[in-house]
Amino acid sequence: MRPRTWIALLVALLVAALAGLALGPVSLAPGTVWSALFGNGDANAIAIVQTLRLPRIALGIVIGAGLGVSGAALQATLRNPLAEPYLLGVSGGAAVGAVTAVALHFTSLAVLPIAAFAGAALAVTLVLLVARAAGARGDPRVLLMAGVVVGAFANAAVMVLLAGAPGDTVRGALWWMMGSLSDATWQGTRWIAVYVVIGGTLLLALGREIELLALGEDPAAALGVDVERATRRVYLAASLLAAVTVAGAGLVGFVGLVVPAIVRALGARSVRSVMLGAAIAGGALVVAADVVARTVRAPAELPLGAVTALIGVPFFLSRLRRMT
Amino acid sequence: MAYDAGAVIPAVFTILRCGLLPFGKESVLFFSRRATTVVFLSALAGACGTTAQPPVSPFVLDDFGDTIHTARPARRIVSLSPVTTELFFALGAGSRLVGRTHYDSYPAAALAVPDLGDGMLPNVEAILGVHPDLVVIYASQSNRAAAVQLRRAGVNTLAIRDDHISDFRRTVALLARATGDTLAGVAIADSVERSLAAVSARPRPARPVTVFWHVWDSPILTIGRGSYLDELVTIAGAKNIFGDLADPSPQVTLEEIVHRNPDFILVGTVTGQALRKNVLWRSIPAVREGRLLVVDTVLVGRPGVRLGEAARSLRALILKDTVR
Amino acid sequence: MIRFDDVVLRYASATRPAVNGVSLDAPRGAITAIVGPNGSGKSTLVRALLGRLVPERGTISLDGIPIQTLSRLEAARRVALVPQREEPAFPLVVRDFIALGRYAHGGVWSGETADDRAAIASAAQRAGVNEYLGRRTVELSGGEWQRVRIARALAQGGDALVLDEPTAFLDVAHEMAVFELLDALAREGRAVLLVSHQLNLVARFATRIALLHAGALAAFGTPDDVMRGDLLEQVYEWPLVVSRDPAVGAPVLVPLRHRAPR
Repeated sequence: MRPRTWIALLVALLVAALAGLALGPVSLAPGTVWSALFGNGDANAIAIVQTLRLPRIALGIVIGAGLGVSGAALQATLRNPLAEPYLLGVSGGAAVGAVTAVALHFTSLAVLPIAAFAGAALAVTLVLLVARAAGARGDPRVLLMAGVVVGAFANAAVMVLLAGAPGDTVRGALWWMMGSLSDATWQGTRWIAVYVVIGGTLLLALGREIELLALGEDPAAALGVDVERATRRVYLAASLLAAVTVAGAGLVGFVGLVVPAIVRALGARSVRSVMLGAAIAGGALVVAADVVARTVRAPAELPLGAVTALIGVPFFLSRLRRMT
Repeated sequence: MAYDAGAVIPAVFTILRCGLLPFGKESVLFFSRRATTVVFLSALAGACGTTAQPPVSPFVLDDFGDTIHTARPARRIVSLSPVTTELFFALGAGSRLVGRTHYDSYPAAALAVPDLGDGMLPNVEAILGVHPDLVVIYASQSNRAAAVQLRRAGVNTLAIRDDHISDFRRTVALLARATGDTLAGVAIADSVERSLAAVSARPRPARPVTVFWHVWDSPILTIGRGSYLDELVTIAGAKNIFGDLADPSPQVTLEEIVHRNPDFILVGTVTGQALRKNVLWRSIPAVREGRLLVVDTVLVGRPGVRLGEAARSLRALILKDTVR
Repeated sequence: MIRFDDVVLRYASATRPAVNGVSLDAPRGAITAIVGPNGSGKSTLVRALLGRLVPERGTISLDGIPIQTLSRLEAARRVALVPQREEPAFPLVVRDFIALGRYAHGGVWSGETADDRAAIASAAQRAGVNEYLGRRTVELSGGEWQRVRIARALAQGGDALVLDEPTAFLDVAHEMAVFELLDALAREGRAVLLVSHQLNLVARFATRIALLHAGALAAFGTPDDVMRGDLLEQVYEWPLVVSRDPAVGAPVLVPLRHRAPR
């Protein structure tokens, strides 16, 4: 990608962040926001800007970056432009973990993310085991099918759990599953950021292998890649990265699907540059979507996943047009 | 013995109707002539015995807009809402209850009545199993199917909407008619309205005391104009910061709460602790400074016979003065 | 340089081995060809070289080193394999595509070194693809695509080049061009091992031919030894005739009609 495009992406991220600071259900004058940022002025404005909005923006950037990188890596490795971070059982497993925690009345801010992550990690492991049992560990199609199987099982489990649950549990579980940045705190975001950086770095390190896997299994093996090992590593890293984002903000769909395609359309060629570009664009997209979620129906808040799902519509339409 | 002509004519009409009604076109007169005479005379006696009963039609329009036949006072009543259960006891008909919902806990005697499960989407089989002649159900759309099923099984089903203080008098009247003691109903309604008026009439501070009612955490739910709790808060002499929202339980954001800066936050016992320690909620001055008031949710939980007491307790809680 | 010693290869849960005791070698400076009917085990041998199948018996070795003891990376530095078909998931620029051949020589975070650049340039030069370095792979014709893939294989360095059906789908001119390129590469000292259906071209360019039949070696020798009518008819189960065209200087296979024309 040309330097100009990189700069444009970074500017988009900056604009989104500024919008996130300045806009919200409570309208604050730009001057108020600016002074509140530095701790001056009305105490409530400071609380809103520093304690509520700033951590949200930080978490949004981290989540968006994680989803973008994970999506880019999976699309190249699976050789499928419709692959996305939740593919291998992540969303189903996380939902089971979260709903179980809610059903057992653990709704504290600490337990839910851990339960979601544990559920997702379990599901990812299950997918790899199912694929191994089917005999083909590295074949993308087998892994995809295993992901579908585990996902279907997880969905059934969630429905069973919710069927017998009181109304409060159902409402809490549904709210979580639709994704939201409203629980963003500095401490929580810090942890998520650490894991996202680790996961993202792992995937970037695997960038050369992913580049070759995108050619196909035979060409990759011919060029020197241990296909089975590399594929397994990519799946694990990408899925666990996605699981971390789910722990942080619930299920936020379509970001990992759409952002790599946008970055490719902007001219990114190598897998590494697609991943980096997707990190920046993903962060910008999630922050922007959060601004929409917070302001469109104030004082209520739309679920973040609902806003990002709407992005899917023009995306798939444009794909359709390109196919015909 | 004063003949109450107004009662005789409907009494005769009722007997004839009774004989004709539920048994189809074939049976012209269900009762034999002698039985008819007996019934006729006792109806007259009944008409003579009680003095100055207001004329009641045997047909009642319930909150689904359906017509219910209430010729005879109900003997075996299933009450599927906490408010109606309390009211039946207040009307002195508690002994006639053969079923209640799981959540009906007032008065203590109610606990002796068989628990038939949930009042929303009730278990029709369980209800029919106790052979009621009257079922009082909460008039929500999701209960329509149950009401239809019960009526098809030949059981009188009254659907009542008991959400607002303004519904109270009508609800009491409906139930009183069903139990055959309309005067008691009027007395109860009058007493409750008097006690509410007494609380309302108390002096209130020049600057209104503002409160935020914390109903739920994720998503954040509070009470709006459409809820009777909002009415209670106003009667108690305070102001609900979200009283401008029409929804009974609207969803709001933390930012908005910080901005509106309530004097007090009303919480249940468990949530109070969690709120105090939550980093995000502490951006609200009321939480930081510990201005959390624990509400007796059992007392205020429903617009029933203890509305007066509920208003008094709220007033004492918020304005710190007691009303005898 | 590449050696198969009595190799037996069996697919999982198959009753009969796909390759049953085949021994052949491909030395440097020559083109060695593997031919045979469909299903005779040719592609299976290639898969074994890729490490996707492990021999049940026997050894495959590169310069005497058994291929099992080599990591994929080390193997890739010695042998460059061009698989039958390839379809990149995302479009690539030709120059970047060729550069991927240098994977086996780089570290995780190393960029392109001077050595890499030299190798890429010489590979492109050798394969004759300099003109379309800036084009995208999806824009290439069949012949150009094949040359580009050979360029990537050359960029890998290494002394051995293995190609699986390199001229399928190519027209006569492009076919000849590829074979002439392979001939030149062999003369420069590389070991070229190729699997092909093109018996006639193989007969002209290969130094030795291995004829496979139902997983076993039916013959392994010079074109003159192997291109015998009776042998080929038996293996391919089709009537044919082998003649010698003076202009060509190598045996030519001509299949006959099975039934008399109506």
